[in-house]
Amino acid sequence: MLVRVEQVVKHFPAGLGQSVKAVDGVSFEIREGETLGLVGESGCGKSTLARLVTQLIPVTSGKIFLGDVELTRLRGEKLRQQRRQLQMIFQDPFASLDPRMTVGDIVAEPLDNFGVMRGRKRSERVQELLRIVGLNPNFNNRYPHEFSGGQRQRIGIARALALNPKLVVCDEAISALDVSIQAQIVNLLEDLQQKLKLTYLFIAHDLSVVRHISDRVMVMYLGKIVEVADSVGTYSDPKHPYTKALLSAIPVPDPKIQRGRRLVELSGEIPSPIHPPSGCRFHTRCPIARVPTPCAETEPPLEEKVRDHLAACHFSQDV
Amino acid sequence: MTVPILQVRDLRTQFLTDGGIVTAVDGISFDLNPGETLGIVGESGSGKSITALSILRLVPDPGKIVGGEVLFRNEDLLQIADDDIREIRGRDIAMIFQDPQSSLNPVLTTGYQIDEAMLAHGKSKREAHQRTLELLKKVRIPAAESRIKDFPHQLSGGMRQRAMIAMGLSNAPQILIADEPTTALDVTVQAQILELLADLNRELGTAIIMITHNMGVVAGLCSRVIVMYAGQIVEQGPVDQIFEDPQHPYTWSLLKSIPRVDAVRHERLRSIEGIAPDLLRPPTGCRFHPRCPFRIEKCYTDEPTLKEVAPNDMAACWVTMDRARKDMNADELVDIRPGAGSHYRRGELV
Repeated sequence: MLVRVEQVVKHFPAGLGQSVKAVDGVSFEIREGETLGLVGESGCGKSTLARLVTQLIPVTSGKIFLGDVELTRLRGEKLRQQRRQLQMIFQDPFASLDPRMTVGDIVAEPLDNFGVMRGRKRSERVQELLRIVGLNPNFNNRYPHEFSGGQRQRIGIARALALNPKLVVCDEAISALDVSIQAQIVNLLEDLQQKLKLTYLFIAHDLSVVRHISDRVMVMYLGKIVEVADSVGTYSDPKHPYTKALLSAIPVPDPKIQRGRRLVELSGEIPSPIHPPSGCRFHTRCPIARVPTPCAETEPPLEEKVRDHLAACHFSQDV
Repeated sequence: MTVPILQVRDLRTQFLTDGGIVTAVDGISFDLNPGETLGIVGESGSGKSITALSILRLVPDPGKIVGGEVLFRNEDLLQIADDDIREIRGRDIAMIFQDPQSSLNPVLTTGYQIDEAMLAHGKSKREAHQRTLELLKKVRIPAAESRIKDFPHQLSGGMRQRAMIAMGLSNAPQILIADEPTTALDVTVQAQILELLADLNRELGTAIIMITHNMGVVAGLCSRVIVMYAGQIVEQGPVDQIFEDPQHPYTWSLLKSIPRVDAVRHERLRSIEGIAPDLLRPPTGCRFHPRCPFRIEKCYTDEPTLKEVAPNDMAACWVTMDRARKDMNADELVDIRPGAGSHYRRGELV
């Protein structure tokens, strides 16, 4: 087990004594060497969860462990030292690189921050990093604007790998790229994982990409995890009606198949995370909910429905 | 034989930039049949949106349509007077955009803005108001009677896009051009909007031109597809055929580069090496040749034109996938390089 998240809650103040319940009691584990996918629609709390796991923001309550170390108890320098193990790749390759720094300095910044390498060793490491992400190592003196979106994302990946992290959190790391470039980056991430024994938390709204790259997939809805399973199980045998609806909504690039697919339509809109619905948060839109009992009254626990397949639904057998 | 309602002939649109002239749309021709759903797919910079904007003469500065014809009802839309094109916009050919937030005026109610689209084309206030209500119901906005008075910020992204579609349909146009209408939306909302467009196409017979980068969206909605690359059409034909047996290596690679949610086993994605060309200095010969795994010598120097390479399938390629499969082991081609690829930028090998 590399990361353990226990009952983590993150509330943001929203004025008038109210709060946005962005992440509301979430527990899961990330296994060493796996890719754990995290999907959900906008506002479900997936990016907040990414920031919590990397401890870029503090939890409201709950615990996060990296190995045996409880990150949520650490502050200051001790937390900073742990952060070497936790790196992040961001969505926007244009906004996440400082335009006034050379590529070499960007990639070496983590090394400088922790005073790990200097002089020749440092520049050798930069060249090595550029090489493993498929960039010309002699480009260390160029600036970000000289590179395309896909190449910039490679620079971001090289920077994330500089300190040999254990966990890399990819937060919509390929969403801003063109399809043909997405494939390059997905393949690169897969190769790097094998070569460097990395563990990924891969966050995206595109379930087909998440499913492709992940060993297990976790689905979030309104601050809660509703389903966790291996990527085959999530697709072939979803145990939560939200997952099923999400899957049915993704267009398949095959006209003959796509025409025969039936959309599971969800009624209404995503409710406000300031006042989430009672009981199961999905009950207001769920096609199989029994209201009021139990769905509007009792919150279904996230529990194992079949081996290694967890879902939070009172009627998962009917999905 | 059906008579096309829209014929685009050799359309060329250029942008004058600091670096020189960029030909964003470079001599494209296609027909749109009545009631048809036509998809135009391509990646950023392929010219798909500029094509759509050129049809209605909405190309933003410093862009300029420099050649070609857009024939609608025996008239060349590129030649008619400004007042006449204004009459056609919104009445005969309507357009909806990617971002419904910035397409709506934040200080006017949604209902009023839909009314306006009809007032501009001669309907009375009362008529317009009544029709707006009808339209909002038709695009399935719940509680339309009260929503009609809502300001755009009071609607969700999906609702705003529905309102935009209602506005687009308000004058019962013959053609609706939708430029990435679902790209900013969540997948469940996207699916609803696509269903809505398909229903409207069936019920009202409105022809739809769907501009998108998403092959799945085309597969679900369109009957015919045009694939664009670097300002030109590289392949076009019925969706069933193009998706099943694409003949242009770009179309083929694009389809192989997307992970499918219904895949039964993990297959490595086929990435397309390199990056899209800089249109200030487009490659010689076939524009796709620097990234094409099946290029032959001719591709470096001679520009291929669209020709029928299989029944109903037009492609601009000297090789085509049939030959690549037969002579070049296309199906066994696997990318083994780390993250795949040499990278091109401005013609130099990186």
